[in-house]
Amino acid sequence: MELEALQQIHSDVRALGAEIVVLTPELERYTRALHKKLNLTFDILTDLHLNVASQFRLVFTLPDYLRDLYKSFGSTLDRFHDEPEYRLPVPARYVVDKLGTIRSADVNADYTVRSEPSETLKQLQRLAGS
Amino acid sequence: MAGLQQRLDEFKTTFDSGAPPYNAPHEAIETMHRATAELKASGIEDRSLKAGDPAPGFTLFNQDHVQVASSDLLRQGPLVISFFRGHW
Repeated sequence: MELEALQQIHSDVRALGAEIVVLTPELERYTRALHKKLNLTFDILTDLHLNVASQFRLVFTLPDYLRDLYKSFGSTLDRFHDEPEYRLPVPARYVVDKLGTIRSADVNADYTVRSEPSETLKQLQRLAGS
Repeated sequence: MAGLQQRLDEFKTTFDSGAPPYNAPHEAIETMHRATAELKASGIEDRSLKAGDPAPGFTLFNQDHVQVASSDLLRQGPLVISFFRGHW
């Protein structure tokens, strides 16, 4: 849902001179399929072994009991991510200004809570106006 | 079109009810709630990078195996970076 919601604001983001990128631990063969399926116009980048997510301090390891549950659903992260330790990024959305400084950070450990893309757009409008 | 959070709330209500299309067993729902509560309690939200911090730079492959550098993107303008767990 996050990706579809970002896609809806992408043209507005571009009009403000900004860009969107999505970082995921998923391997390229999966990002290619997802990119095509959702008709995205921004890039999905493979953050192999969560190197960048680690630098943003967003990485956690799935507890054993949850790992077993996902396996019972047929989900095998180790295959999608080449992640035998079942580490994942916490869902997060950052706005970074041209100088490379983080201007807003939306990080939520509950994967069912996200900030609205319209808020991200407002943040970019403030940056464009300053 | 409904807002993102509204759609997430609708998903959560359906999922947590155990209804189709997810048909999540009660124990599975309890397990997932426990995991989310533990993750929140771990303090990871507070430890993550915040407004005012410098953003780490990166060069990564996109879906078409083309290398993309954050420094190139930032030369054009501000950047929205979304961390996504995956499609699974």
